[in-house]
Amino acid sequence: MSALAGTGTYSPAAAAGGKRRERKEELRRHLVEDADWPRADGRSFHDCRPAFMQTGPTTAASGSAYAEFGKTKVIVSVFGPRESKKAMMYSDVGADNKEYSSMLHKAFEGAVMLHTFPKTTVDVFALVLESGGSDLPIIISCASLALADAGIMMYDLVTSVSVSCFGKNIIIDPTSDEEAWQDGSLVVAFMPARKEITQLTLNGEWSDGRITNAVELCMDACSKLGDIMRDRLKDTATLTSE
Amino acid sequence: MVGLSEGEKHFIRGGITQDLRTDGRKRLQFRALSVQTGVIPQANGSARVRLGATEIIASVKAELGKPSILHPDKGKVSIFVDCSPTAEPMFEGRGSEELSAELSVSLQRCLLGGKSGAGAAIDLSSLIVVEGKVCWDLYIDGLVVSSDGNLLDALAAAIKVALSDTGIPKVNVSVNAASDEEPEVDVSDEEFLQFDTSSVPVIITLTKVGRHYIVDANSEEESQMSSAVSVSVNRHGQICGLTKRGGAGLDPSVIFDMISVAKHVSQQFISLLDSEIAAAEAEEAEC
Repeated sequence: MSALAGTGTYSPAAAAGGKRRERKEELRRHLVEDADWPRADGRSFHDCRPAFMQTGPTTAASGSAYAEFGKTKVIVSVFGPRESKKAMMYSDVGADNKEYSSMLHKAFEGAVMLHTFPKTTVDVFALVLESGGSDLPIIISCASLALADAGIMMYDLVTSVSVSCFGKNIIIDPTSDEEAWQDGSLVVAFMPARKEITQLTLNGEWSDGRITNAVELCMDACSKLGDIMRDRLKDTATLTSE
Repeated sequence: MVGLSEGEKHFIRGGITQDLRTDGRKRLQFRALSVQTGVIPQANGSARVRLGATEIIASVKAELGKPSILHPDKGKVSIFVDCSPTAEPMFEGRGSEELSAELSVSLQRCLLGGKSGAGAAIDLSSLIVVEGKVCWDLYIDGLVVSSDGNLLDALAAAIKVALSDTGIPKVNVSVNAASDEEPEVDVSDEEFLQFDTSSVPVIITLTKVGRHYIVDANSEEESQMSSAVSVSVNRHGQICGLTKRGGAGLDPSVIFDMISVAKHVSQQFISLLDSEIAAAEAEEAEC
């Protein structure tokens, strides 16, 4: 069957890296110059990837959620509330990524009603199964669904969306290919019902008019994502009551 | 940690509402700034910046290294912050780890720009010596010697001063070796190239206390904050980075207002810092 096996080579062509670079630069050129070029996955600039979210993938946790946005797949599980060992109020340990952990913490600091469980700790564990871009915002949204699933009191669900900036264009929900070549990025974590921004980070070079546009775009997407998450929670609630 | 009585808290908040803070400043007024350059002789550039009682030492070291495979045409810059136990006893041992990491991340976000290099404080392609082979690695270190609030702004200012003090040795490359061999480099110890620091942004942190926001909060005022927004702005008024701290959520319109206030204040701060740098350099040249 495999008579030809000996003749095949497995080494990549020398120019493979260069070609990949060229392709990326072409992608970047399109994104910078053109008005609304369909992106690599067929979306237009202001289209988000389809969101699939589900509660309860892990049974041992008090609450958990799974989110899949395109190639990005995340599981978040919430344990507790349990008695605090140390004098800390709220802790989350991300998988080896301190930066994301502290950002996740900051996004929820203002949303969780900490006074409803004094002297106790809630542990939030986030695991990125596959990283396909916009990881942090997806972790934040997924964590808020998991916290709601665990019955932790919050003022509102926290949803999060990021945008990338390419030249004069703003594209929403970037994939990792797009993130690798962006001029700047902006992440908003938002409480849709209270219309409050709990976390906002930005890098790159922005004029303040463009920041306003980008933040408004993110808030709009966050509200819509919030509706999807609310529906998921309602689905779970009706399933358990039946 | 700041321990304040109810009366003191009320006094601080009331002062901010009336635009007269406990040390006599207005809401958008900075504390006295003092700048000294060349404080660490071994480093390529260094600075000591005092902002009220907050004191920062920043140093820049340049080493020859190899550029990364993904960006063969760019040098590398890394930023680290350490908080000394001399500033606060709680910084002893691992106590400062969390704060140091947070400050480092914020500075990296504000100074290193986007993935493509837009808005970066330092033009990474200016650090290249031989493309794909040799580049300069810049190590920027900030040390918090004394802490009385507004660490991020003071750190960014110290780094800006240290970069303007930095001289990168001139490198002569012998062009005889074949393209796949390591090129021979000769680092000059007499000729130095100065950095163009005009694009290095400053960070302005607006601390929200009650309904108003203040710049350059001291630690007592910081203990009363509901949230703070740090905006990094360059000379052209472009926003290069933004971080929000503090738990409370903010209304979008408040954030936009804070950005425009920060932009306005930043231009005054940049010119103040520039004149201080010029004075410090003149003083150093005299010695």
